[in-house]
Amino acid sequence: MLQPPQPDIVPREHTDGVERPGTAAAPESVAERHQAYVTLLFNKYRTSVHRYLTRLVPFDDAAELVQETYFRLLRHGELVRVEAMARAFLFQTAANLARDLRRRRASHRADQHVQLDDHDVAEEHQGPDEHLAGEQARALIERAIANLPLDTRTVFLLHRFRDLSYPQIAQITRLSARTVARKMAEAIEQLTLALGQAV
Amino acid sequence: MKPFRHQQNPARTASEWFALIRSGEVDARADEEWKEWVDADPGHSKEYEDRELAWEIAADLGESPTIQALLNETDQHSRTSRRRGPVPPSWRLVSWQAFAAAASLVAVGVLAVFWYNRTSTTVNEYATAIGEQKAIALADQSIVTLNTATKVRVLYSRATRRVELLQGEALFAVSKDPLRPFEVHALQGVSTAVGTQFDVRVDERGAAVSVLEGTVIVAPDESAKSAGVSVSAGQGVIYPVGGPVSPPQPADSVRINAWVSHRIVFSDIELADALREYNRYISVPIVLGDPHLGSRHINGVFRIGDEEAFLGALRQGLHLQVTRSDAQIVLTPR
Repeated sequence: MLQPPQPDIVPREHTDGVERPGTAAAPESVAERHQAYVTLLFNKYRTSVHRYLTRLVPFDDAAELVQETYFRLLRHGELVRVEAMARAFLFQTAANLARDLRRRRASHRADQHVQLDDHDVAEEHQGPDEHLAGEQARALIERAIANLPLDTRTVFLLHRFRDLSYPQIAQITRLSARTVARKMAEAIEQLTLALGQAV
Repeated sequence: MKPFRHQQNPARTASEWFALIRSGEVDARADEEWKEWVDADPGHSKEYEDRELAWEIAADLGESPTIQALLNETDQHSRTSRRRGPVPPSWRLVSWQAFAAAASLVAVGVLAVFWYNRTSTTVNEYATAIGEQKAIALADQSIVTLNTATKVRVLYSRATRRVELLQGEALFAVSKDPLRPFEVHALQGVSTAVGTQFDVRVDERGAAVSVLEGTVIVAPDESAKSAGVSVSAGQGVIYPVGGPVSPPQPADSVRINAWVSHRIVFSDIELADALREYNRYISVPIVLGDPHLGSRHINGVFRIGDEEAFLGALRQGLHLQVTRSDAQIVLTPR
């Protein structure tokens, strides 16, 4: 969603993403600023996003999805100028694209499930579930969730699958917001450890 | 919660950052600290990535029966706590007398529960229809996932956790309780576990026990419980009615992990065997019009419940003709 150009006090020359109160104000559109910011963010995290994607989809698809992620972010409109949040959004966009691709592949495969003996499609059959997001990883994560201590699991489930915010979870569970955050950290730590077994 | 930057463990720090960033409450100062941390070492970025990955893979489990069961349980808890209303903010200041009164009530409650548990066994039965799957969270947090056409009876008392598999197949994720062994009774035999994950399936060939995690003791009848065969993770055994228990073989893990996520996996097996497996999930069976077809091989991953996709694959992949009647679906060469 592009917005009409607006006067801006950010100097055009800045390339490091740090907003300085400029005196030599050059007009720059929101769209331009957005593109500059996305590009900056992207250059910083490109390697990381690529590695991340190779763990979600087959290697050959990852590079393509990196590009697609970039274009998605460009089209998305203004990003929060808090790097931690923007990075989270960047990775989530990449993960969503990976998920879409896996779904498309799965429905494509459904058309050609059965093969004749002499019809060698073994390579294609091994496709998407070879990478980390496959069956095994899901089973490990599922088990890790089931094995979390009750409070920790409740916090995690409510945040992940019921989309509740920490304050909402705090109210329901009667834990403090601090404790909710601590339980979330605990949960993600356990899940990551479980996933480590798959690598 | 602010992540402890002084902490020497980047994995834990990454988890704390992850939790903070998910809260959405990152101000400019925290963001500066975040950048400092993530830029300090490529390993930090990697650790953080691992957490994002775990988070995203978890998102794919929204429809898994296990997660559904856990969510139901959580929702129930949430409802009960909402009914009780908010806690008074001054709860820490409750008087000593009130505390003593509450403590004695708790003591009575504990005694009552103790007495109740000593003397009673709760019995619950759960069943699935053909093609249906269901996960149930039991009182001790163990989870039983029922596969197609399955029936179990759960008998819990203070001393034992006993589940009777009356028909079909179930996966047991057992919570640890060394004082209360978890027993699955099937075809007179019994599998005993303390805290583990294992699958039991009964059909005309006998009862098959596959262990995914931990160790399970399998005995062909109840009197020989202590002298059973020890089956460890990755192994499986089978016993007919009355025994004996086979020596341990590799477990059927691929098939089990697949059915838990609503899938059937055939990797290069004969069509006759594939149909025997597939027919467990449908009420009108698929049969071979020509027995020679049974030795054709089949590969693929199929979603349980999507019968049309499976039949379509048989038509196109194996060039078979599919003829439907009310009682069965017949496959013939085309």
